[in-house]
Amino acid sequence: MRGRTIKPWWLIAAFLSGLAFAMAAEELILSTQDSRLEFTAPRVHFLVGKPLERLRNASEVPFDFKITLWSGTRSHLYREIPARFVVSYDLWEEKFSVTRLLPSRRTARHLTDAAAEAWCLQQMATDVSGIGPTEPLWARLEIRAQDGKDPGLPFGRGNITDSGISLTSLIEIFSRPAATAQPHWQVETGPITLEELRRGRRRG
Amino acid sequence: MRTLLMMGMFIALLPALPLPDEPPDQGAEPTNVNARLIVEKVQISGHGSSKLSDPLKTEIGQVAGQKFDQSLLEKLADRIKQELHAPEVRMHVVKSGTPDHVIVNFEIGAEREKRFDLDLSRFLYHSKQGWSGQGHATVHVDGNAFSFGMVSDGDRLNERYAGIQAAFERKNIGTDRLQLRFDFASFHEQWNQATLFAAAPDDIYRTRMHFSPMATVLLMEPLEWSFGVDFARYRLTAPVAKTESSNAVVTTLRYHQRWGSAKDKGEHDLRASYSLRSGTHFLESDPVFARHQADARYRFRRGHQDLSIGFLAGTISGRAPLFERFVLGNAETLRGWNKFDVDPLGASHVAHGSIDYVYRGFLVFYDTGAVWDRPEEREQKQSLGVGCRKSGFQLAVAFPVKTGSANPVFYAGMNF
Repeated sequence: MRGRTIKPWWLIAAFLSGLAFAMAAEELILSTQDSRLEFTAPRVHFLVGKPLERLRNASEVPFDFKITLWSGTRSHLYREIPARFVVSYDLWEEKFSVTRLLPSRRTARHLTDAAAEAWCLQQMATDVSGIGPTEPLWARLEIRAQDGKDPGLPFGRGNITDSGISLTSLIEIFSRPAATAQPHWQVETGPITLEELRRGRRRG
Repeated sequence: MRTLLMMGMFIALLPALPLPDEPPDQGAEPTNVNARLIVEKVQISGHGSSKLSDPLKTEIGQVAGQKFDQSLLEKLADRIKQELHAPEVRMHVVKSGTPDHVIVNFEIGAEREKRFDLDLSRFLYHSKQGWSGQGHATVHVDGNAFSFGMVSDGDRLNERYAGIQAAFERKNIGTDRLQLRFDFASFHEQWNQATLFAAAPDDIYRTRMHFSPMATVLLMEPLEWSFGVDFARYRLTAPVAKTESSNAVVTTLRYHQRWGSAKDKGEHDLRASYSLRSGTHFLESDPVFARHQADARYRFRRGHQDLSIGFLAGTISGRAPLFERFVLGNAETLRGWNKFDVDPLGASHVAHGSIDYVYRGFLVFYDTGAVWDRPEEREQKQSLGVGCRKSGFQLAVAFPVKTGSANPVFYAGMNF
C-alpha cells in the first residue's frame, strides 16, 4: 500500500490562505500615542459605490461614525465615540473635502479619496487614560452613509449642517439597524491590551 | 348672490395676496466644497419637461449665474416632481467649459405605464341618498387604454343611475398635444318619489345609453380644448314607451395652472373650465337645448393647511332632458341640503360657491348657492359642515342654514 504524502503546494496554499485570512481580519488597527488611542482601517473604503456616485455629482454626503470600546470584559462598555463627517468632491479640482461637524467643527481640503478616509479615522482618536495597561480592550468601528433624505433623521432634509444635531442623536442612529439599501461598514478588533499596543504589537 | 360675487372676486384676488414667508435658513459655513462654483446654466430634459409652469421655469432660470446651492436645487427638483407628478427627477451636475462653472441638468424620469390598473374612482355613503360607487379596470396596450367599469350613483343627479361604462383612450395622436377618447355607457334609472311627483310623464326615462367620441387639443400651456359629440338615447316610461335621442355637440375649454410648493411658500392650484353642450336638430336630437357651465376652483396648500374655494355657474336654454339639468344639494354642492328639497327636477340655472378649509385633516366648509328655472324662484341657500379629510377620504356632517329644525346630513367616502 502506497503511503499518502502531503504535496508541497498544499502546504503553500494553506500558508497563503492563512496569511490572507490574517490580513483580512486585520481591518481595524489600534495604536497609542501617549494616552490617546488611534484608529486606522486601511481595508475599509467608504468613498465608493453610491456615495461616491453622489459625490461626483457635486452633492455632499454625510457619514456617521461610531467607535465603541469595551474594557475588562466584552460586556463592559467603556465608551462610545460618535462623529459626523460631511464629505464633498470638488468637481474642478477633483479632490475631496471633509468637514467634521461633531464633536467640534474641523475641515480638511484637497484630499485624495484615501487621505479623506484616513483623515476621518484620525479624528476618532480618543483618550484612554482610564483603562489599565493590562486590561483587555475591544474596539468596533461603524460607518453609515446618510442620504440626508430620511425623515427619521434628527437632521432633517436639506441642510445637513444644522446645528440641531447632537452626539446623543448620533448614538441613537446607531442603535437602529442600518437600512438594507444604506451603505454601511463595520469592523472590530480585540482583545488587546494597551501594554501590547505600546510594545508595538498590533493585532486584528 | 352678493356672497357669490364676493367669493368670485376673492378667488381672483387670492393668488396676489401677500403671504408670510418662512424664516430663512441660518446655515453655517457651507460644507459642500462646490458651493464656490457658479451655475452656468440649468437644463431640463425628459418626459413632460415642456409642461412645467412658467413661474417654476422662471425660478429655475434664476439659478443660472448664482453659486451652486445643493439644497436649493434639490428643492427645485422636488417641485418639478410634484408639479409634473413625475416618479423621479434626477439632478446631474457637470463641469462647463468655463473654469469653476457647472451645468445642472434636471432629468425627468418617465412614468412606467401600468399594464393593468384597477381603480375605485368614487365611493360614497350619503345619509339622504344612500350608497354611490364607481370603479373601473383599465388595460394599457401600446399607448392605448381600454377601460371597463361599473357605476351606481344616487348622488350627482336627481336620478339614481346604475350600469356599465366602457372607454377607449389614446393620449397621443401623432403628437402629445392631441388626444382621442370614446366613451360608452348604459344605465338603468331609479327615481325618487318627489321627482316622479313633480315631473311630467314624458320627462321620466327608465334607461339611457351614451356614446361619446371626444378629441382634446392642448392649445397652449395650461389651456386645453375638448370637442366632440354625445349621442344619448333614452327610453321613456310613458305608457306608450318610446325612445328619444339627445344628441349634443360638446365643447369644453379647461385651464389648469399650479405654482409654488406646499413645503415652503405654499402651493397654488387654479382650475377653471367652461363647457357648452348643445342638443341640435342637426344631429337629429329630440330635445333642442344649449347648456353652458362655468366652474373654477382655487386651492392653496401650505404645510398642514389646505384652503379650497370653488365656484359654479350654469344656464340651460331650451328644454333639456333631466340628466342635463343642474342639481344642488349633494355631497359636493350645498352639502347639508337634500337635493329633492332644493329642486326635485333639477333646474335650468345654477350659481354655487363653496369654501373648504382643512387643517391637519380637520375640515370645515361653507356652501352657498341657488338653482332656479324662473328668476322669481331664485332663493339663495347656505350650509355649513365639519368633518375630516385625508388622502382622498372624507367624512363629514353638514347642516343646512335655515329656520326651523336642523336636519343634518352625514356622508363619508373616497374620491368625490
